[in-house]
Parts: sequence; structure tokens; C-alpha cells
Amino acid sequence: MRTTHASYVRKGICILALAAFPLLANAQQGAFGGGSGAPLVVTPPPRQFETSDAHYAFLLEQAKGGTQHTIESVPHWDGLWETAGNTHMNLFVEGGNFTGSVLPGVLTPAYETAYKERFRQQKEEGQVRYDRLTHCEPAGMPRWLLEPYSHEFINTPQQSYLINDFANAIRRVYIGQQHQNLYGTHSWMGDTIGFWDGNKLVMHTKYLLPADFTRWSPMTSNQFEAVETWELKQYPNNVERLEVQATFYDSFAFVKPVNAVYAFRHAVALTEAGHRPQHWECEQSSNSYLDENGMTNFRLPGEEGYKDPRGATLFPELPGQTRDPIYNTTLSTEAE
Amino acid sequence: MKTLYTGLLTALTTSLLLVSAADAHHSFSMFNRETQIVVTGKVQRWDFNNPHSWLHMNVTNADGTETLWSFEGAAPPQLVGRGITGASFEPGDELTLMFCPLADGRNGGALGWVKVSAEKFLVPSDGGCRTDDATVTRWKGWLEQGFKTNKEAEGKSGA
Repeated sequence: MRTTHASYVRKGICILALAAFPLLANAQQGAFGGGSGAPLVVTPPPRQFETSDAHYAFLLEQAKGGTQHTIESVPHWDGLWETAGNTHMNLFVEGGNFTGSVLPGVLTPAYETAYKERFRQQKEEGQVRYDRLTHCEPAGMPRWLLEPYSHEFINTPQQSYLINDFANAIRRVYIGQQHQNLYGTHSWMGDTIGFWDGNKLVMHTKYLLPADFTRWSPMTSNQFEAVETWELKQYPNNVERLEVQATFYDSFAFVKPVNAVYAFRHAVALTEAGHRPQHWECEQSSNSYLDENGMTNFRLPGEEGYKDPRGATLFPELPGQTRDPIYNTTLSTEAE
Repeated sequence: MKTLYTGLLTALTTSLLLVSAADAHHSFSMFNRETQIVVTGKVQRWDFNNPHSWLHMNVTNADGTETLWSFEGAAPPQLVGRGITGASFEPGDELTLMFCPLADGRNGGALGWVKVSAEKFLVPSDGGCRTDDATVTRWKGWLEQGFKTNKEAEGKSGA
């Protein structure tokens, strides 16, 4: 009887393993939006640079000042895109997955200690204390690279617009220009300049606010800077993938610059369904919040502080002030 | 041999984790993701809003009174690709759904599947109540046997 049971278990495991094989074969390594196609490979810069400025200047010189595209010749990356894998977790965690341990020596001592605690919280408690997006902070850069929802990429000869509909996050890339900081401070998306090297868009971003990559990732400082090379690649079976080779610099957080690749693919299902991204904000429509212990929780209808995303404006006595004009429902909580 | 099987299982588990994990708007630790409960009620409102959708439903209690329950689903851009829109659940629709409850016991949870007809199940779930085709198939069988929770079904069927 025991032998028969063991035999069933073995068969079950084999079936599970076989079922998982296509998943393994097609899945990109890395978390946050698996993709399909050839495995992603990191292409590090030709040599290590002291600063992101030196790195960008080197690439610009290599490209002899960059390709001057016209509106006809500039690469078109039209349509809706979605994240399609990355090597992100390999930067910081042994094995590049959520079950590994923090790689030593990648982060500076202060940031490594902080990350170990952050990673422990995420693994053991399923969340980090102070989960930024919970209370509507923007994802910002570099987290922008990993956020799901849909993306759109618009290129013109003078400027590129890299859009994530997660809270309408737009990165503006100023082609052939120098950095500016008229506001005299740093911001969520920073300032990005770039140039075209043939069909590759090379970008340099600086003046970013301190943030985090994700809940699973380390914090980044206000000295985080990035050099990225974006390229649309073709693979067999009509697979098109936008690949972003990125080098991240952060004199406070990283012992030395780190390299990763991120990818986007056509959002076929969204496109076929006719999806059109809409402007949205978190302040009026999200009821998640950080409690007194820094844990994420929700306010439910009828509870103090609940924000009704489809309720009336502050002027309910006026006709037409509901934000649910199709169904005109009222979220009654009288039964509670 | 045992090592081989252990390795395969580990690879399977890891691959599923890697493929399914996404960086959603918030963590899902407030939900009891091991518990799945089925309820029937009438839709009060389907908030097909970013950053997360919410289905508000009046559930009839044993004493005949009604209680408003609220269930969180994935974001609209994720749901549109699954054939779910802002018109999928309309006020007054009588629905049966599966959810993973809030761990603190309040009247809410994370959406798993929603049964809109005898054969049609929609899956608006996010990370709070992971639901795939196998989950739906398993539940179709459990519903036929009258089960209302996965614990009850697993206990009775030995699954």
C-alpha cells in the first residue's frame, strides 16, 4: 500500500514538473511581470565608470554625438506595452528570487543593513513597514521600470515620452540637450536627457528623490542616477521586445554601479480588448493606508476616513455631482 | 531519487512564484490567503477604479438582515485583458463569489472568482486571493457538493 501511494506521489510530481516546464521555458527570469522570448542577458558597459555623467559622455562620444532622426526615421514604439521580465532581483539577492538571501557587498553597509531588515519583513510578514505606494506616494524612478499596468512610448526627434498609466507617470527624455534643474531640487522622475544611436535610445537620468525599487528591493538615495539604453529587438515567432540595459549609480547606496536589464512586450490582450489608459489619482480613489505600526490596511465603507471613489463631490446638493454617472448608485452602509 | 523530486518541486514552486509575482499597489498581508469563502449576494456597486477595483455586495444573513461586504480586485488594466470591464457586475446583480477574508475579521476580503452564470466564472483576483483556472475548476466541483469554504471542502474530501 505504501509503495502504491509513493508511486502516485512520484507520478504526481513528474506531472507537475512536466506541466511547469513550458512555464519555466517561456518565463523570463526575474520577478515583476514575467515575459516570453529569449532569456534576457545583461550587457554591462564596456568599462566601469566613476560617475553616470562619465558613462553617458562616453556613450555619446562613441555615437559621434548621436543620430539625428527625423519624425519619419525616429523609431516608432506605438501601442500598449506591458512589463516582460527583468534581471532585477539578481542585483541584490542570491539566486535572483524572493526566497534567496541578500547578496553581501553590493550595497554600502548602511543600505545593506536596512535592506536585510526590509527583505526579512517582506519574506516573513508579507509586507514592509512603510510601504510607499500604500498612501499614494508616486512610484517614481527607478520603481517606474517595474510597475505593472500599461505603458506607452512615444518618440519624436526632439523628445521621447515614456508613460506608465500607474498614476499617469511620465518620463520625459530631452534629446540632444543638457541637464537642467530650474526647480533647484530633486523630483520623482528627475531630469532625463538622451540621444539616439541608430535605433537605440540612450538616456541619462539624475536629480531623483530617495525612494525604493519595490517592496522587495533596497532603498535608493537622492544620489541615484541611471544610464539606460532602450532598443526594440526582434525574436523568432514574431516576438518583439523592448529591452532596457540599465546601469545604476548611487554613491550612498551602491558599493559600485550595478547593471540590469528590463523588458517590455506588446500588451496584446489589452490592445485586443480596446483598453485606453485613463488619468487616475490615488488620493480620491484608494482606501489603503499605513496604520500606526506602519502596516498596510484598508478603510471600508462606513468606517471613519473612508473615501468613496464614486461618491458625490463636496457639492452633493447640485445636480450632476456624482462620480458614478452611469449607474448613479449610492454606497449605502446603513445595514452595517 | 528523493533529491530529484525535491529539486523538481522546488523548481516548480520557485518558477510559479517568479512568474506570478508582481509589484502591485500595496501588499496583501492583510488578507488571510489560505482561507477561501463563498458567499451569495446582490451587487451594490462595482468600483472599476484604479489603483484597485472593489466589488461591494449586500449579503443576506441567517436572520434575514443584510450586511454590506467589500471585496478588492485587481486594477482595471489587469482586468480588461481578462474580459472584465466596468459593466461586468451591475447594481442588483445576484452573484456568488469566492474571497479570501480580511485577517482582522471585518466585512471584507480579496476577490477570487465571481460566478456570473452556471458555467461562466470571471476571475478579478489580485495577489490577495490568487485564483487560477485550476482553482475555478476545483471550486466548480466543491460547489456541486455544497461546500462554502475550502477548509470544509478539503476536510471532507481529503484533498
